[in-house]
Amino acid sequence: MERFVDQCCEKCTHTKDTPCKDFVDCCLEGPICHDSEECAKKRKAIVEKVTLNEKFVIC
Amino acid sequence: MYEKHIMICGATGCLSSGSNQIAEALTEELEKQGIRDKYRLVMGGCPGFCEVGPIIVIYPDEVFYCRLKTEDMAELVETHLIGGEIVERLLYKGPDVEAPARFYDDIPFYSKQKFNVLRNSGLINPESIDEYIMRGGYRALKRALQMEPQAICDEVKDAGLRGRGGAGFPTGVKWGFTNKAPGPKKYIVCNADEGDPGAFMDRSILEGDPHSILEGMIVAGKACGADEGYIYCRAEYPLAIRRLKNAIEQAEEYGLIGENILNSGFNFKINIKEGAGAFVCGEETALLASIEGKRGMPRPRPPFPAQVGVFGKPTTINNVETLANIPLVVKEGGAEEFAKVGTEGSKGTKVFALAGKVRNTGLCEVPMGITIEEVVYDVGGGIQGGREFKAVQAGGPSGGCIPKDLLHLPIDYDSLTQAGAIMGSGGLVVMDDRTCMVDLAKYFLSFTQKESCGKCTPCREGTKRMLEILERITEGEGVPEDLDTLDSLAYSIKDSALCGLGQTCPNPVLTTIRYFRNEYEEHINENYCQSGICKPLFQYRIDKDVCNGCRACVRVCPVEAIKGEKKEPHEIDQELCNRCGSCVEKCRQDCILITRVGSEADVGN
Repeated sequence: MERFVDQCCEKCTHTKDTPCKDFVDCCLEGPICHDSEECAKKRKAIVEKVTLNEKFVIC
Repeated sequence: MYEKHIMICGATGCLSSGSNQIAEALTEELEKQGIRDKYRLVMGGCPGFCEVGPIIVIYPDEVFYCRLKTEDMAELVETHLIGGEIVERLLYKGPDVEAPARFYDDIPFYSKQKFNVLRNSGLINPESIDEYIMRGGYRALKRALQMEPQAICDEVKDAGLRGRGGAGFPTGVKWGFTNKAPGPKKYIVCNADEGDPGAFMDRSILEGDPHSILEGMIVAGKACGADEGYIYCRAEYPLAIRRLKNAIEQAEEYGLIGENILNSGFNFKINIKEGAGAFVCGEETALLASIEGKRGMPRPRPPFPAQVGVFGKPTTINNVETLANIPLVVKEGGAEEFAKVGTEGSKGTKVFALAGKVRNTGLCEVPMGITIEEVVYDVGGGIQGGREFKAVQAGGPSGGCIPKDLLHLPIDYDSLTQAGAIMGSGGLVVMDDRTCMVDLAKYFLSFTQKESCGKCTPCREGTKRMLEILERITEGEGVPEDLDTLDSLAYSIKDSALCGLGQTCPNPVLTTIRYFRNEYEEHINENYCQSGICKPLFQYRIDKDVCNGCRACVRVCPVEAIKGEKKEPHEIDQELCNRCGSCVEKCRQDCILITRVGSEADVGN
């Protein structure tokens, strides 16, 4: 998972053709539709890579 | 994970002063040291302080380096990135700081600013939708998709957001008109046709944070019942257009533009229309005509665009800065937060392009209600060369001149209008005591006259007649009746021109007559321009009591009009002098005086 739009696992169904209503929240707080530490870590890794300082991310 | 993030200003201002070359030199140096992978280099948006560009900000250390040259990069890498020491000589220095300033908080230029619209500029990679989302992006869209259109309009209205493009019409009310207009097809248009000379607020927002505009437009679409939008952006903003296209592609891929956005059943698509740069196309009905492929000319209103807009359909037109505010207003709790800043009638912040004779030129975002004095002296750092403030032109060529007596004036829609100026899109041109206000009025009027589309007689002919009078006055051929004629013509144009541009273009003339009438009278009655700008109306003379005969003026004079022996007072041959002013710029003794034609003594330098 390099970008938020990439699926974290097969449980994520968000694409432009099959949109998920929670997609925006899911980027920073996800996964929302299922529980998975591993999927959460994948999102966190995207964030951490570009975070400038502790004020950078706005939830 | 990166050790540090190096944000290089990649906006047009810094690009033109060499930030691309800085980035190349930095990359080369990092590669030479074999440490390229440890650092993230981003060509970000504009941090605003164009005067000291090119700029690099290093995070998480929070160090602001400025006035950089390619040859500084080796030291930056060696000392800061490898050695962990700050390179003091590359920090901001100036008469307004006691010691080199390390970060935004220490630099007076930023001290009174509040970043709403520019919240992401310089912090995120403008080509990354992920980073926009990390900064709270698209939350307002998600919320808006769950709201009723009228509720969104009401919220924007309650926040007190007024259009940032010039007229200051309440945005929520405008959206409500389009929402209530009948018909299944409606449009949202983003007016990115920034045409005021010296203004670059919209360009910087588009270049630095393009997704904020897209989000603002989609929310506006939901509020107005529109399913399609156009961004009308002038073609001479290629970087802004490139970043917008990239942002649209990303938002489409993420399912934030297109069909059934976030599974809400709401559809919205965005097109870009490149304009050819006519000033009049910033006027909304001319802009709509241009989108339709017609010649950009205004049309009478009513019907207003909210009823009959682009392709004959109800249309909301919002300026770039207005739309960039929308994600802040519509997010959870955003309206209340937004309304806390500003004045009773003007909420939020305003972005200004600060230009002219001020020390710190660039882009600034300040709370509404801040005084002109604070902007000129605290943000702008005062007048260049320690000279005296004379006036500020607010609102571009259709705005008005505000004199020194009104330095305490708060910057808000109503105060500026009462003073005869307008907020306009946000140009602030500061003038010092060497500015001739008659010449200034002539300059701005010549701009609007050239840009007049010619459709309506008052603007087409009236501005031409006014310009002819101003030209006569600055050439020493003015007559006492000219001031009444200018006044009468100005009000006729204001009352009868077809569009907002025509109705406001006499403002610079009216305000300079109102606040600097003595200068007009001096030009007309005494054939004298005290500022030394109108060439037939003054002479340069050397103050023999002060001149030390250094010959600096002799060397610089292009027509060899200055004579005199070394260490002896010099003299100007009035027959040869073309009043280019090179000697004034060069003289270290301030001994070149501006005097009346034929006069031996008088006045200032």
